[in-house]
Amino acid sequence: MIKFINVSKRYNKDIIALSNISFEIESGEFVFIVGPSGAGKSTLIKLLLKEEEPTSGSIVINKKDITKLKKREIPYLRRSMGVVFQDFRLLPNKTVFENVAFAMEVVGASPKEIRRRVPMVLSLVGLSDKADKYPRQLSGGEQQRVSLARAIVNEPSILIADEPTGNLDPDTSWEIVKLISEINKRGTTVVMATHAKDIVDAMKKRVIALEKGNIVRDEARGAYGYAL
Amino acid sequence: MDMLFRNLKYFLKEGFSNLARNRLMTIASITSVMAAMLILGLFLVIILNVNSLTNQVESQLELKAFLKDNISEQQVTQIGNDIKKIPGVTSVVFESKEEALRKFKQQLGDKSYLAEGLEKDNPLPQSYIVKVKDAGLMKDISNEIKQINGVDKVSYGQDVVDKLLGIIKIIRIVGLSIIFILFIISIVIISNTIKLGVFARRREINIMKYIGATDWFIRWPFLIEGVVLGLVGALLSVALLVLIYGYVLDIINNKLIVFQLLPLEKIVGDILVYFSVIGAIIGALGSGLSIKRFLNV
Repeated sequence: MIKFINVSKRYNKDIIALSNISFEIESGEFVFIVGPSGAGKSTLIKLLLKEEEPTSGSIVINKKDITKLKKREIPYLRRSMGVVFQDFRLLPNKTVFENVAFAMEVVGASPKEIRRRVPMVLSLVGLSDKADKYPRQLSGGEQQRVSLARAIVNEPSILIADEPTGNLDPDTSWEIVKLISEINKRGTTVVMATHAKDIVDAMKKRVIALEKGNIVRDEARGAYGYAL
Repeated sequence: MDMLFRNLKYFLKEGFSNLARNRLMTIASITSVMAAMLILGLFLVIILNVNSLTNQVESQLELKAFLKDNISEQQVTQIGNDIKKIPGVTSVVFESKEEALRKFKQQLGDKSYLAEGLEKDNPLPQSYIVKVKDAGLMKDISNEIKQINGVDKVSYGQDVVDKLLGIIKIIRIVGLSIIFILFIISIVIISNTIKLGVFARRREINIMKYIGATDWFIRWPFLIEGVVLGLVGALLSVALLVLIYGYVLDIINNKLIVFQLLPLEKIVGDILVYFSVIGAIIGALGSGLSIKRFLNV
């Protein structure tokens, strides 16, 4: 499903963000990417989203080498992935419903499909009663749930979460992780970069640990493994 | 097809609702388009008038080919035909000795008695009065006529025409440069104003990119917005221009006798069409340029 083959990323020649890393993620897996700040987690996510190009190596997603993708093909790559960020990135002047519907409008869904899918996804994330609220009227956890709903509404095969609990308190964080886990059980591959030790330790999922641009650990049922 | 139509509906809805949502920006953009194009328009009107004025002057210019006295009538006709064949000549009118004398007397007015008695031994030469298409051709044509057998000499007031041509040329060059500069300035002002709007929505663009929107999907609403801004600004500037020009016409045309300013009806149509097109292009170009930077995510 996702394959990194000898991938390196260098900025300005001497700053090495990722050095010659290789790994493979199977369809339906749930993988944590952990490591201290500056270890290369963000770079890895950016490479997945083709926001940046690797300096060398190749990245294969859904059997396609995305480093060879043309610029105009990038949108279609991104449609196969749902993304959730630490800062939610919702549109402030659209309601919850509109924010989720927006992701469907972008890919050209019909109004009929939109009216059918959006309420379904909103109920999945437990926000059916907040459909008409604006993001500023919601708590942080609720906003992240909207952003999750938006990420999965087009039924992507991969969900990428970049520090999704970074701005949330522990209880709320757990709610979000449970939701992500729920999405994973429905067959979506999940890649989650995180700092949250408790969550990683409790979930007992595969952990890929990065340090100074290298993979220092890749365990099937791993733990966070760093002192806080 | 269905999707295309749906997208079009989305683009229009999005474009117009953005205009309504960012009301202040909309007003600022329209005002700057209007101001820039009003100045552009004022200069354009001046240039158009200078052009029509020089055309009027040019069409009044004529040269006179004086014929030798001792030539046959057949030769006179032949010379007339030869002149007509010269490229650039628009009309050739023969003036006989008698006519020349009559005109001379007319010019003398109440002193016409001075010319009394000249009829018997008329000293004035017969001539051809030649009009040409373009004042710039006068020198060449006059030289060519001089070559024709039986032509005594040619006159067209070299000094005056040459000076006039020089002035006209300068006015045209200066005017066109000013229009060109103003056009560039308009584009810069408009693209900057729209850039502010795009900048305010860079977050939205960023999110769209992550969701997997194509560049054109993101671009269209902004282009529609730009075209609407440019078009409305341009139309307002035309309206103002018509008001101002009408006012100026009222004042000036009563005083100027020699040259008439172009009538309002004659320029409004052209300017309306040109400005609508230019405004739309400037708007689209401005927003297209402004959004380019934010699409590279």
